Amino acid sequence: MRIETVVTGLGTIGPYGFGREALAKALASGKPVASEVDRGTGWHREGGSRLAALIRERDLSRWIPPAAARRMSFPSKLAVAAGKMALPDAGIETVATEGGRVGVYLATAFGPVHNTEKLLRQIFLEGAEAAQPFYFSECVANTPAAQLAIAVGARGPNVTIVQRESGPLLAVGRGAQAVREGRVDRALAGAVEEIPPLLHALLGRFGALAHEEEKLAENPRPFDRRRNGILAGEGASLLVLEREDAALARGARILARVKWSGGAFDATAGVTDWGEGHDALAGALRAGLQTAGGIAGVSAVVSGASGAKRGDLLEARVLKAVWGDLPLPPVMTPKAVTGEYGGGTLAAGLLALEGAALAPLPEPPEIDPEIGFAQHRGAAPENRARVLLTGLASGGAAAWLLLERAS
Amino acid sequence: MPRVDRAPPSPRTVVVSGLGAVTPFGWDTSSTWNGLRSGKTAIGPFDRFDHSGYRTHVAAQVDLAHAAPRPRGKPARISLADRYAVCAAREALSQAGLGGGDWTRRAGVFFGSSTGGMLENERYFEALLAAEGGPKRRLPPMSILAPQQYNAPGDAVARALGIGGPVQTVSAACASGAMAIGDALRAVRSGEVDTAIAGGSDSLCRLTYAGFNALRSVDERPCRPFRKDRAGLSIGEGAGVIVLEPLERVLARGARPLALAAGEAATCDAFHMTAPHPQGAGAAEAIRAALVDAQLDPGDIDFVNAHGTGTPLNDLAECEALASVFGERARQLPVTSTKSLVGHLLGSAGAVEAVATVLCLIAGEVHPMPAEGESDPAIGVQLVLGSPVKLERARHALSTSLAFGGANAALIFSRPPRRNDRDAD
Amino acid sequence: MPESPTIRSKIKSLLVSALRLDGLAPSDIADDSPLFGEGLGLDSVDALELVVALEKEFKIPIQSHEVGREAFASVGALAAFIEGRLAAAGNADAAS
Repeated sequence: MRIETVVTGLGTIGPYGFGREALAKALASGKPVASEVDRGTGWHREGGSRLAALIRERDLSRWIPPAAARRMSFPSKLAVAAGKMALPDAGIETVATEGGRVGVYLATAFGPVHNTEKLLRQIFLEGAEAAQPFYFSECVANTPAAQLAIAVGARGPNVTIVQRESGPLLAVGRGAQAVREGRVDRALAGAVEEIPPLLHALLGRFGALAHEEEKLAENPRPFDRRRNGILAGEGASLLVLEREDAALARGARILARVKWSGGAFDATAGVTDWGEGHDALAGALRAGLQTAGGIAGVSAVVSGASGAKRGDLLEARVLKAVWGDLPLPPVMTPKAVTGEYGGGTLAAGLLALEGAALAPLPEPPEIDPEIGFAQHRGAAPENRARVLLTGLASGGAAAWLLLERAS
Repeated sequence: MPRVDRAPPSPRTVVVSGLGAVTPFGWDTSSTWNGLRSGKTAIGPFDRFDHSGYRTHVAAQVDLAHAAPRPRGKPARISLADRYAVCAAREALSQAGLGGGDWTRRAGVFFGSSTGGMLENERYFEALLAAEGGPKRRLPPMSILAPQQYNAPGDAVARALGIGGPVQTVSAACASGAMAIGDALRAVRSGEVDTAIAGGSDSLCRLTYAGFNALRSVDERPCRPFRKDRAGLSIGEGAGVIVLEPLERVLARGARPLALAAGEAATCDAFHMTAPHPQGAGAAEAIRAALVDAQLDPGDIDFVNAHGTGTPLNDLAECEALASVFGERARQLPVTSTKSLVGHLLGSAGAVEAVATVLCLIAGEVHPMPAEGESDPAIGVQLVLGSPVKLERARHALSTSLAFGGANAALIFSRPPRRNDRDAD
Repeated sequence: MPESPTIRSKIKSLLVSALRLDGLAPSDIADDSPLFGEGLGLDSVDALELVVALEKEFKIPIQSHEVGREAFASVGALAAFIEGRLAAAGNADAAS
């Protein structure tokens, strides 16, 4: 019999606040959880993006004692706090005694990039000898995962996946695989990101961010004809993964079953852009879903569409190619609320499975003729037996995750 | 001890069918192998960036004057790390005999990098800071920043080869390359992909050079792993790539399996961000788990390509780990450190060392470390010094990676099954 | 020669700011309380962090091998070490 991996816990921190209820509330409101970015660096473009989905409540002392916190970058703190939130949510008090059998699989696009910036400033402005060890040790991409491992005593594989928008789904896929193959008993898998002001300014200069246009307010508009970029977001979401038989044996509540995970690459993509290889991506997705019961079983899509012009178009083309003549299931776009990069899709995907509503954007949609459909709006779809999570990364990598309701 | 409750026995035997490397010794595996056999270090003065204000002044740099042709693409959008990666991948692919055909559809890229295009990012940042200080706030073109991402080298490989399967980059500091190869092994074994292009790439940059200096981990002289007067690591750059495929596919193509990718494992010390566990507990656990994965006993391992950075703490912890796994036999176990010759390639160290390990298996000999210096009496292993050591038995080899953040990875390669030797002859 | 009390208080301020000892006032740190292990609970990276801060504040180079437990045992020990280095630098200046 196939060993199934299930999700038994969720810890999430974002601009919406702490925990699943806060996220559910934000999704139900339908409004982007955006706030003004500090433009004091002077590098923000005139008329460019002014908003990001930033964490306003930054006090994480509930999860991290001061003696530990002073050794951590902000992303490290976010990862540790979300991980410490996820374990009790799964009904697990501690993993330290069985730590050798617990792995960490964490995705991040930019890592602790604020410390990278501070370190480079010291090197260039004060000289290399003035470089502070802390900024170096806490700017490396894998420090959030390592700090999480130290904080909870997870001595299994410690994997940091850096694959932009597809990273969070790859991380959960790898974690689920490790559980299924018996390499670990439990995995903490998810994503973490921070958006400091300079990174925001540079993303704006790349033309990646949603911005004000004539009478149009700054909003991420996934799939919409008027979309002009993403809402950059920060946060952390961590899932507890374990074997279904082990979860049942300890009477755990099962949030979802990881039915399938997979990835593909679009070699037509530019270095920081999406390509046009939707046929090949669709072929890979179709073949992958086929091994897990086919598309008929997919009752909803929690899409990684974020408001990126070419990214959303590619996503729509892939989905339309996979479903062909069959009607597309409801396609939800939580990044319209949570913003891009923080692993918001992961947590939102789990909530969608539980029936959380994703309210419409504040304004009525305008269908993009090239896309031909709008994001699902309002109450959760009635049939939510299986939810497909999608993540197409700029640069070409794609990842998917199929979650199934366990009840 | 890890429990042996892996899901049904692995359906596919995974072999290495191609090797590629760009190292301070040259832009291919043959120059790299010649350099490694020479036992003469490539670490020395370097000019990749101005380091006059730095505490130390040696590194191992790749010779750009004799570079392989650039991959296609706008020059500004391809970082040095991307170039190393693509060059090594092409070499590995050509050795594997994978040319045209539709193999790319079921192929994946599993890559590691610790800083991606940081060197180019720094160029942009330096200009940005200069502009902040000056009257005109003008920035260099954004295209310089484009390849700065961690995932850029792996993506560049996938793009250059037209890969259609999963692409994943791991950034686990100095264990990135080894972990990427471990993931690739799993992916081929489980049938997720039929071909895995696995490896890592990193270039020298100010961030890591100044950062390791800030941690006082860089030796003023070329590093001397396991020697008594060792005083830190030396940073290097380059890329290593291996092609992994199921044995049947390689044989069916009439190609020669170079080695068996026998086992892998990863663990975390969960002890300290920058210091290894003093007894090397996590490293020992990774080695044990890799042995279980390869269905081997410690007695089967014939030599070790150690992480061997040259920092006082790392080398001691690593020897503790080896002693705890191999017991008394550790004293006779030939151990070498590729880093003594090409420096610490950070995110690609594990990948280049995997390439070196397979080359040693093929040659039936272990490449040496420089002969100079006195061995540390606290190091209880058989160091290979000065010239290559021919092994009577070279069936199974271990390569270890111990990273920042306590991440450990162990890879085991074996000589291909005898049957294939005959087939190849 | 006993080191000047201002060096001690400068070191305490540096400890709090450079090592992000939030919630601790410089005056909370006793002259003789150990910096590592028990006491303030600093580790090896903190020591290096402190070295960078001390080098900047007092404009003296500190070699890796000097970052030993002796000189860095307590605020008092560290102040004596700095004082010694400053005096040596002063003498060198005077001699030149």
